[in-house]
Amino acid sequence: MSWLSSATRHIISDEPYSASRNFILSAVLWLVVGVTLGTLAGALMTWPDLITGVAQLSFGRLRPAHVNMVAIGWLSMGYVGCYFYILPVLARRKGIWNEKLGNITMVAWNLVLLSGVIAIMNGYTEAREYAELNGIFDWLVLAALISTGINGYMTVLTGEEKKWYVSIWYMLGSLFWFPLVYIIGNRAFVAFDGLNDAVAAWFYGHNILGMWFTVGGVGILYYLLPRFTSAPLYSHTLSMIGFWTIGMFYAPTGTHHILQSPVPEWLKAIAVISSVFLLVPVLTVLTNFFMTMRRKWYLAADHIPLRFVIAAGIAYLLTCIQGPFQATRAINWYLHFSNWVVGHAHLALLATFSFIVFAAVYYIIPKVTGRKIYSKQLAVYHFWFTLIGWIVMVVVLTIAGLIQAAGWHFSIAMDQWAFEMEPYMFVRFLSGILITVGQIFFMYNIYKTVFGAEKDVEALPHSPTGIAYV
Amino acid sequence: MRPNINYLIAGVFVALIFITIITVTAILPAMTFTPVPSEAAYKYEPGSPEAIGRMIYRREGCFYCHSQFSRYQDREMGEVVNAGDYVYETPHVLGSERTGPDLSNIGGKYPDAWHWTHHVNPRVVKPGSIMPSFSYLSDEEMTYLVAYLQTVGAKRKQPNWVTAPQEYRDRWDKVKEAVDINSSAAANAGRGIYMQNCAQCHGVEGRGNGPTSVSMQKKPANFTRPFYKSYDDATWFWRVAEGVPGTRMPRWYKSLSDESMAYVAAFVKTLPQDNEEAVTSYDDVDIPGALDENFWEIEAAKAHGHNNPLKDYAPSTFKAAGADDTATHGGAH
Ligand code: HEC
Ligand code: HEC
Repeated sequence: MSWLSSATRHIISDEPYSASRNFILSAVLWLVVGVTLGTLAGALMTWPDLITGVAQLSFGRLRPAHVNMVAIGWLSMGYVGCYFYILPVLARRKGIWNEKLGNITMVAWNLVLLSGVIAIMNGYTEAREYAELNGIFDWLVLAALISTGINGYMTVLTGEEKKWYVSIWYMLGSLFWFPLVYIIGNRAFVAFDGLNDAVAAWFYGHNILGMWFTVGGVGILYYLLPRFTSAPLYSHTLSMIGFWTIGMFYAPTGTHHILQSPVPEWLKAIAVISSVFLLVPVLTVLTNFFMTMRRKWYLAADHIPLRFVIAAGIAYLLTCIQGPFQATRAINWYLHFSNWVVGHAHLALLATFSFIVFAAVYYIIPKVTGRKIYSKQLAVYHFWFTLIGWIVMVVVLTIAGLIQAAGWHFSIAMDQWAFEMEPYMFVRFLSGILITVGQIFFMYNIYKTVFGAEKDVEALPHSPTGIAYV
Repeated sequence: MRPNINYLIAGVFVALIFITIITVTAILPAMTFTPVPSEAAYKYEPGSPEAIGRMIYRREGCFYCHSQFSRYQDREMGEVVNAGDYVYETPHVLGSERTGPDLSNIGGKYPDAWHWTHHVNPRVVKPGSIMPSFSYLSDEEMTYLVAYLQTVGAKRKQPNWVTAPQEYRDRWDKVKEAVDINSSAAANAGRGIYMQNCAQCHGVEGRGNGPTSVSMQKKPANFTRPFYKSYDDATWFWRVAEGVPGTRMPRWYKSLSDESMAYVAAFVKTLPQDNEEAVTSYDDVDIPGALDENFWEIEAAKAHGHNNPLKDYAPSTFKAAGADDTATHGGAH
């Protein structure tokens, strides 16, 4: 069994930045599997009889599998991979506090998610959106989050740098908030009855976006932007205002997901008001983004990661105009329950935060492996396939959502307009194909980079020259 | 190792804010918001078929496509829910997206056998539906699931589902001064208008099988369905005037005068009485008879005119799911 022990030594290594690399490599795998299942679920919306008689592949099970793989697998692991590179660099430390613990967490995270998703597809599910991982898996995920959190905090506390750049605030903040949010949202820890269960579930459902994906994504963005443009961040103060206002206004918004259900009115009022106040942190991020980019837009011509960041910034603008607007009672009254919201979700998690992580991966992988990205051309394809993919998807889902909403509001029985959905659902499936193909390019490129070519540049994070990435 | 003291204070502050928010928006509601069970609340006895059915409903992810709260603006979905209805609904299945219709008032809307067939292959009873087939559920599970569905909102009363909006009620009050919609003179006047404008789609006898219906995905309404007897005059007037968005049914107010629409409505109103041909509910038919070729032809005719692909599916699919047992299982509720 010597191969086993050597493999273990390789994976659970304490080489600096190995945890970062391993997290990213796993994230990329989950991404490809996750979007494939998503596309399959999309296909079922056009050909409902495509697969029959296989419980594991029926829509009601594919959808949670897709969401968990892309949210807990791809995006969350991608974030941790980025944190484990960015935090030590910002804290001036060689690698994270405990690289071995990081790698063990990585292995555990993968195993938990793999078995969790298999369990979901076999019907062992908590059946609450975004919280499908059930029972024992809840505990394991929480353990992984806590160990990641400890590693993150210790990295910063043991670093030489005593002045914290804003990204550190955002990242440490997310590592503190997410475990707490996870506890509230999963019935293994907190189990209320009736409508209160819905309130807790949506506290979690929204805050996994707000206190984890948004905070983490913005933290990574604030790190990448000055690096890519070689310009200082426009305003440190604004970014800190953003941090504090996210902390205050994001967390109470959950109830806007059940705004028209019979939950207490005061709760709805809090949710709507704080949703609208979210414009404050959003505007700080956007101001910082656009002002830092001033006179730098031309760089995107041949700096591929920067292109991803720009696309993400613009998608963030769109998402965050939609968000507070949808959360107001009048608009929510019209749009709720429709595919518009599905479009919004993809705009946030795919078009914005995934794009930030794409950029980060293209930047970090050369840094942590000392190898140049295998193919610039593939990265360009990845960019365009994914960009066109999400644009098509969000546009068709938005139109489909408006049609659905109109159907309900003219009080027309659904089966009279359901046929109208067909072309949109079909195009949505096509956009899924585009996105999947894009991610396959991405995975191939990253794996080729890490395992393929010989090391050609010695590029450690501290080297002042850095390397020519993509 | 020791962080800057300012950072420490800031960190404590972040934690305090967050704990306050958790307390106010997640814990406090659970302590203060305890509605009394309403009449419509259904208490699931642990281990009962309904409770197991609810578990299957969650397991199969039905709530990803179906919501369970009807709102004021959902006029065709039955009575609006209130907080007391949900006291025993743990964990919640409110849902967030409606690929399919809201199910808060589904209980009692269809007979058990309908649900059974619909789960086996939704396209048998609803051509064009994109609901997945749940044919992989065992007979037992299917019985439980149906038993559960029959409890959802079953204690709420069903109002009229489709009614004319106020605007049309007001308009109708004026029109009815000029036209007595229940007189045979009006119906006779309407017959001519109908033959000229409507028969090519709705058919001479109103069965929804006029010649042009062949090319339509969404077939014209079949006025012989007894369901239409429940339409009141203003509703007929409104339906004729506004058409049916999403189908080829025109908005007749654009080309017919109010009086003409009233006449044609008077004629259409006579159709469900004169030509009624459908069975009123599945429970009226002998369910094992569902396996007769004949049964499906009647259903096909009832649902969407005469030439419908539906009968090609029926007996074998139905049987595959063990429909032979519906007679026994079907009454589980
Ligand atoms: C992919 C989304 C989807 C899933 C998952 C789904 N449905 Fe449906 N459902 C639909 C659509 C679309 C319709 C409307 C067309 C029809 O009646 O088949 C519908 C209609 C229904 C209706 C008829 C409602 C009415 O008022 O006419 C019932 C009952 C129903 N579904 C129950 C279920 C149950 C039970 C499950 C889980 C076992 C389920 N559905 C899962 C999409 C879905
Ligand atoms: C081009 C074909 C076409 C013509 C012409 C047409 N209809 Fe329709 N009609 C339809 C279709 C399709 C529907 C939708 C059936 C459904 O909703 O399932 C419909 C629905 C209706 C409904 C609504 C039934 C309901 O379920 O509420 C009424 C009432 C109606 N038609 C009356 C008329 C009258 C009266 C005329 C003539 C003045 C007419 N239609 C002409 C195609 C047509």
